[in-house]
This record gives sequence, C-alpha cells and structure tokens, in this order.
Amino acid sequence: MRWLARNLQQRIRRGIMRSEICLIVGGPQGAGLETTAQLLTISLARLRYGVISDREYFSNIVGRHSYIHLRASSREIPRSLRYPVQLIGAMDAETVFTHFQDLEPGGIIVYDSSVENKVVDSIPSMERDLVSRLKRVLGELGLDGSLKSLVNYLSREENVVVAGLNYAELITRLASRVSLPAQQASRYVSAIVYAAIAAFLGLSESSINYAIESRFRGREQIISINKLIIGEVYRLIRGRYRSPVILAPSNLNHPELMVVSGNDVVAMGKIVGGLRYQSYYPITPAADESFFIEANERITWDGSDIASIVVLQTEDEIAAISSAIGAALTGARAATCTSGPGFSLMVEALGWAGMNEVPIVITYYQRGGPSTGQPTRGSQSDLLFALHASHGEFPRIVISSGDHLEAFYDAIEAFNLAERYQMPVIHLLDKFLANTIVAMPPPSLENVRIERGKLISESSGERKRFESADLVPPRYVLGSGAITWHTGDEHDEWGHIDEDPENRERMYRRRMEKMALADQEIPDEKRLSFYGGNDADVLLIGWGSVKGAALDAIEDLREDGIKAAYMHLRILSPFPTRLFRGVVEKFDPGSAIVVEHNYMAQLALLVRMITGVNIERSIVKYTGRPIYSSELVSGVKRILAGEGRVVLTHGP
Amino acid sequence: MAPSLADYKTDVWVDWCPGCGDFGILAAMYKALAELQLKPEKTVIVSGIGCSGKIPHFVRVNGVHAIHGRAIPFAMGIKLANPDLTVIVNGGDGDLLGIGAGHLVALGRRNLDITVILHDNRVYGLTKGQASPTLEKNLRPKALPKPNIQDSINPIALALASGFTFVARGYTMMLDHLKELLKAAISHRGAALIDVLQPCVTYNDIHTAEYYRERVYRIEDEGWDPVVRNPVERQEKMLEALKISMEDEVRIPIGIFYQDSTKDTLEDRIARRLPSYLINPPAVQKIEDDGRPILTWEIFRKIFAAHFVESEPSL
Repeated sequence: MRWLARNLQQRIRRGIMRSEICLIVGGPQGAGLETTAQLLTISLARLRYGVISDREYFSNIVGRHSYIHLRASSREIPRSLRYPVQLIGAMDAETVFTHFQDLEPGGIIVYDSSVENKVVDSIPSMERDLVSRLKRVLGELGLDGSLKSLVNYLSREENVVVAGLNYAELITRLASRVSLPAQQASRYVSAIVYAAIAAFLGLSESSINYAIESRFRGREQIISINKLIIGEVYRLIRGRYRSPVILAPSNLNHPELMVVSGNDVVAMGKIVGGLRYQSYYPITPAADESFFIEANERITWDGSDIASIVVLQTEDEIAAISSAIGAALTGARAATCTSGPGFSLMVEALGWAGMNEVPIVITYYQRGGPSTGQPTRGSQSDLLFALHASHGEFPRIVISSGDHLEAFYDAIEAFNLAERYQMPVIHLLDKFLANTIVAMPPPSLENVRIERGKLISESSGERKRFESADLVPPRYVLGSGAITWHTGDEHDEWGHIDEDPENRERMYRRRMEKMALADQEIPDEKRLSFYGGNDADVLLIGWGSVKGAALDAIEDLREDGIKAAYMHLRILSPFPTRLFRGVVEKFDPGSAIVVEHNYMAQLALLVRMITGVNIERSIVKYTGRPIYSSELVSGVKRILAGEGRVVLTHGP
Repeated sequence: MAPSLADYKTDVWVDWCPGCGDFGILAAMYKALAELQLKPEKTVIVSGIGCSGKIPHFVRVNGVHAIHGRAIPFAMGIKLANPDLTVIVNGGDGDLLGIGAGHLVALGRRNLDITVILHDNRVYGLTKGQASPTLEKNLRPKALPKPNIQDSINPIALALASGFTFVARGYTMMLDHLKELLKAAISHRGAALIDVLQPCVTYNDIHTAEYYRERVYRIEDEGWDPVVRNPVERQEKMLEALKISMEDEVRIPIGIFYQDSTKDTLEDRIARRLPSYLINPPAVQKIEDDGRPILTWEIFRKIFAAHFVESEPSL
C-alpha cells in the first residue's frame, strides 16, 4: 500500500496525475451534448469527485455550437470554472476551431478524424466574427485553415495528444453488431466522446456502467447499446494512448453526491419550502425550474398525498404574476419564475403586491439584455431594475444566491421573508447558476424552518386586512371565513379606497417601515458574508454567481503572495448597510473592487446611493460568459498595477 | 341565519354618475347573490380598473380590486388555489376586451369555474369617454374629437370561439332578466361570460337607454335553446349561437346564447393529475409541522433519488 501511495505521489508530481482537471466538450446543439455531460458528471460523482460544469449555447434548437465547460476535483467541490483546459472532447470540427486556444500545452483533443479536411471558413454554423479572428490566428501560425493542419500543429508544437477517431466508421461497425438502424446510429456520437474522455481521465469501467444505467434507467436496449459502444471506445483509447492527464483518486469522502442544475436546486428548495402554486410563461433560462416542479407536482408518502402543487403555464408573464398574487391571497405559498423580458411585463402587478402586502416570490434568472439581448447567456445587469421596478414606492426584499447550496436555502427563505413581512420577494439569480450543473453534497434539512408570519387561516366576519396597530398586520386570507377587501388604490385599514391625506401618510409610512423592521430583524449571517482576513491588501465585493470565482481567486492570489478578501452580498434589499460599512471600513477605500457581470458596476452605484461609500474600482464582464477565476486573478493584478476598471472578456 | 339582500351591501358610497348603467348591474348582483344564498366569506369579487372596477367595495363579500386588464388572472390564481370559493370577475369592455383580451381568451381555453361580468358601455368612462373595443367603426360618441376608425369586437363570438361554456348577454335596464342570467352563470360549472349592455350617461350619447329599448329582444322568446346536452351537439349549437350573435344592430339579442356542461373544467383536469386537489387544495394544505417542513429528509431523498449518486462501494 505504501508503495502504491508513493507511486501516486510521484505521478502527481510529474504532472500526469492531476488533483483536478478542466475540460471542454463541444458539439452542435441537439447532438446529445447534454447526455455526454450528464454521463460524465454521474461517473465523476460516482468516484466522489466534485464537479462543476457550465453549459454555453445559442438560442437555437439544432445545429449551433454548444459546449460544456467542466471542472472536476479530487480535493474539493469546485466553485468556479477556469482556463486553460486540459482536454477538449469535440463532436465536430467547429469545436476544435472554437476552443483550441484554451487548451493547455500537453493536453488532449478527442476529435472526429472523418472531418479532418474541414476548413474553418467552410462551416456555416460558425459566426463570421469568430471565423475571421480564427483565420488570422491560423494564418499567423502558418496553417491552411483545415482541421488536419491544426491538429497536426497542436501535436507537433504544443505536445497535444490528438486522438482522432473516425466516428462514423466506429458507429457503423458497432451498430452492425447490435443491429442498430443507421438513422439512429448518429445519436451515439455523444457516447463515443464520453467514452474517450472517461478513458483519458482514467475513470473506472464500473463508474461508466453505473452512469449509463442511471442516465438511461429502465431503457434496457439503450443501456446495452451504450455499454457496447462506450466499452469499445474506452478500451480502444486505453489501448492506443497514454494519457497525459489522469485524474488522481478523490480525497473527498461524501457517501453520496447530488447532481443538480441551478434550476433543479431552486425547484427543490421551493418544494421543501411549501410552494403550492407556481405559474410561469416559457422563457430561457427559467422554464426548466417549472418543468421540474411539475414533474414533482404530486408528492405521496406512506400511501397518502402530502403535497399537491398546481403548476400553471399562463398566457403571458402578466398572468403568471397576477395569478400567483391571487393564489397568495388565499394563503397558498405562491411563486412565479422568469427572466428579464418576463419580469419587465410583471412590474405593474408587482406594485399591486407591494400595495396589498402580498407575500409572493418571484424567482428571477437574469440573462443578457437589453431587449432580447442574449437569451441564452448570463448577466447580472438587472440588479437595479429588480430593486426599483414598478412605479411608486413600496417595500420589497431582494435576495441573491452565490451558489447552488445558497440557492436552495434562499428559495425556502424567500417564502419565510415574504410571509413574515408581507411583501414581494425577488430571488435574483442568473443564467450561469440556472444552467450550471454541480455534483455537491446534499443540503441538510436540519435547520430548515417554515415561518408563516401572521397568517390567519380561520376567522369570521368583516376584518381589517390592513390594520395599522402593528407594522405587519394580521393576514386574513381569502377563504379563511373573514371578509376582506383589497385594492391597488390607496386604502384604509379595511382595504377600501381612501385618499384622505392623513390616512395616506399613515398607510404609506406603515408599509415603508416594514422595510426598516426587516432590516432590524433579518440575521446578519443571511445578509452578507466575509471571506478572508482583515489584513488583506485587496477587498473584492460581489453578489450572486460571482461568489465562486471570487473565492477561488482570493486563494489563487494568496499563492501569488497577494492577500485578498471577498465580501459577498446575499440580501440586497434591505441593503445591509451597517454590516457593509463594518467590513469596508477595515480596508483602505482604494483597495476595494466590485466584481460584476454588467457594464455599469451596478453594485457600486447601489452602494454609493445607500451607504455613501464610493468604490471606484471595478472588474466587470458583459460578454454573457461567466467570470472565470483565472481571468479574475489577472484582473485583480491589473487593478493592483494601477488600472481603475478592468473589463473581462474570456470565453468563446 | 340566511343572509338577506341588505347583508350583501357595504356602507361605501357608490360614486358612479347618477343614472349609470352600473347601478343596474350592482342591483342585479345583490339580488343574485341573495337568491343564491352565497356565503359572503366564500365569495370573491375580482375587478379591474375603471368605473366597474370599484364594484368590490360596494359588495359585502371578499373583494379584490386588481389592476387594469388583469382581473381574470388574479381571479384564476384565487380559484385554482382555493376551488371552494365562488369567484366573480367584473370588468369593463376596455379592461376585458382591450388591455386584457388575452386573458379572456385564455380563461375560455381553460374552462375554469369563474363568472365574468363584462360591463359593456362602449367607452372608457373614467378617462373621459374614449372609444372602447366594443364601439363600432365610424361612430362618434360626444367626447371623441373624430369618429372611431377601429372596428368593434363581438364579445359573444369571441367568448364562444375561446371556449367559454356559458355565454350570455344582458341589459342593465332589464334587471330581473339580468339577475337570472347572473344566477345561471354563477351556478354554471365552468367559464361563464355575460356581456352586459349599459348606457354611459356621461360620455356615450349614442348607445342610450332609448337606443337599447328600441333594439333589445330576448332570444329565449324566439325559441332559442342554448343548452348542449351531449358533446355531439356542440358544433351545431355553437354555430347557431354565433349566427345569432352576429345579428345587425337593428335588433340586439340578449339571453343565454350557449350553455355546455358536458366539458370538463380546469379543476377537473387538475384533479385527474392531483387526486387530492379538490379535497385539500393548495390554499389549505399543511406545509409545516411545528415549524419544520413536512418534507423531511427521508422524503426528500426518496422523491429526488434520481439526482443522487452514491459513491462506488469499493472506494
């Protein structure tokens, strides 16, 4: 055993065994890329590796380039993605062209040798901007633009292991053995790529079989065909190549990992949190959440129904939020989920919910705007919009989650806060989180609480729904036996229209003061987190999905001798002013940098408006691709070298 | 004690213009609620914006005065979360056929058990008399600077085409007739629309009480039987109802155009997927046990089992 361990250490030192690996799997949309990623994630999780993977895709059903950027670690649950990658698994020529510049020298490319003669400017699905950039790069390398010349170059000059497999031939040969009809055979390209990657990484055959069985559960024929094809390719690769990047055995000791997307984990949180009405209008990247809930609409235990959740696809987002408000008036925990264009339609009704103190939850996955913008790309450019949407003034809570675990708990907490303070809660997420799949330790439900505030579900007679004795009034719901009135007009305690100036002042103030109450009561640890030491030279400040990249960046910076800290904001309304000042005052104001996926550095604007603190330095990204920890590290170094604003652009 | 008509009134002053057609609708509604003996605490009136939007404040049942055009989706959420409630929508022609027309169509598709009362005076009253979607082309009620250049919508035909299973028209000055229509609509299981013709005494000098008195006739008096007794009759009944609805303005038909109880409601469709939906609807389901979610770890682990990957035993 000691010999084995020593041998392992040597291999890790020599760089063959890696404690972590980053890779790209790419191909045309609709060709089974997601299946490859799922199989890969399941087999990695089976072997106890932590996994994070982002999926990048166009607004397109079939044909345009899509890719999975995945990081697996034997030491930790990875929090962010980084470049370069050590392996590219390409289903087509476009993938190699698009990503080869992100491959580490000495890495691996798996590609289809039957398309070697493809030339970069003959691929219609590639965007012209990229083609012209690539032609310049390939020209500078003295290449003729063909895939063949590129892989030969990479093999010769960059020491890359180029594994060219003739996909069509392989499939035809294997298909004949299982009498697979030719038209179905092309679906198995994703299986070939998966098998090759698994072989190069050194994943066990048993983990591969487990992944196949779990992904295709119950479909015996598909399982056996996949096992055959994947097994053949796996052995072929193992026999033909010596892998330069094998993943070291995992040091993690979780008995099981949960494989979920951001959409999945938020849906799980909402279900645990007691969601009973979810309305939605289809929109990327939010709709998958509602599908997940609908698939789990009926929950039975011990032979009886313990939850029946109504999920309704409405005619538009206005109906989605309006019906959720209606459902919330009856006492059901109600929510809707959307993205920017949908939220734009919801804002009038949002104001009604504020005026009538209705606890609804809006799960808001930001994508690139304005207008249709970049429907399948990520963004954090709706912070100020979410905080201020709708005319007039009314209180709202805005929570943002930094990772899957936070998103799960925040999805539950959103309902608690909504009911406790009787106001709309916006759970502000983004496409990065929505489509990022992780293998993570399952959340604990130990400390999860359901707090329903002043809900009154049994009553009688006419009741003052807007009783002003306390800041938060008793909430008589429709159907409770009480008779109540509600209106978007300014109203008296009964909910009848009342424009009297003294009544106006009283009702207005009470509504707004609920915000101050929430500010006093919400525990510090739910609002803001600080990572790193007070002696840091650099303070990064961010929110939402910046968290993972920031945490990895401060660790990487430390290795480079730069002491950095990260302040993560989780509740943006009510803004945690006291906590924020408490952190920021420990630092030289010139050392603070906001990090955000938008152009305006919206968090810095918000901070200036609310706290008066002026954060002048920013690292922003608005290409629609996530901030990679690797580029964040160099961004911080550029700031330290004197730049005031760094715009990140990495990622195809 | 059974509620009397007075029990359905609030003490809020009804601030419509004297002579407004809305008074007739309100009076018919009080009577209909009292005759049906609807429990005020189990009844919800949902409205949009405009003169008709104020109606919830005048009725002693639960009231939800929503935003412009969205009374139907508000009502839909209320009804879906608590199907025990009787839900009645009141909206103007601008509200239901202009800004909110999509929701009206969608309600028809769903056949959710909601009654929609369309206050049809062909103008936007509260904003001083603009043309509404039911105002015919080339007409110029007194507030319009120029004659209307847009065609009018036929609410009966729209409701029929959208899938409403109860479609009727009433006239506010024929109070008892309107009251009976309301009772039939509320008692009907499924999406019901009543187009209520009403004069706007302030802004519409064309569609006056006199105008309607000369034109309105009751289709039942001419022998129309609107009831679909078997799904095979749907097409025939609907075509005939459409035909009646397209009569020229020389004669204006009122009464029940179409009534089909053979189609399932949205509640029925949901109950087929969620067997305890009607017994234990979302509004009253228990979601916590002493502050802890009823979804324990054990249940969580089971229902989301497909997302769990157990480590390889040999590791």
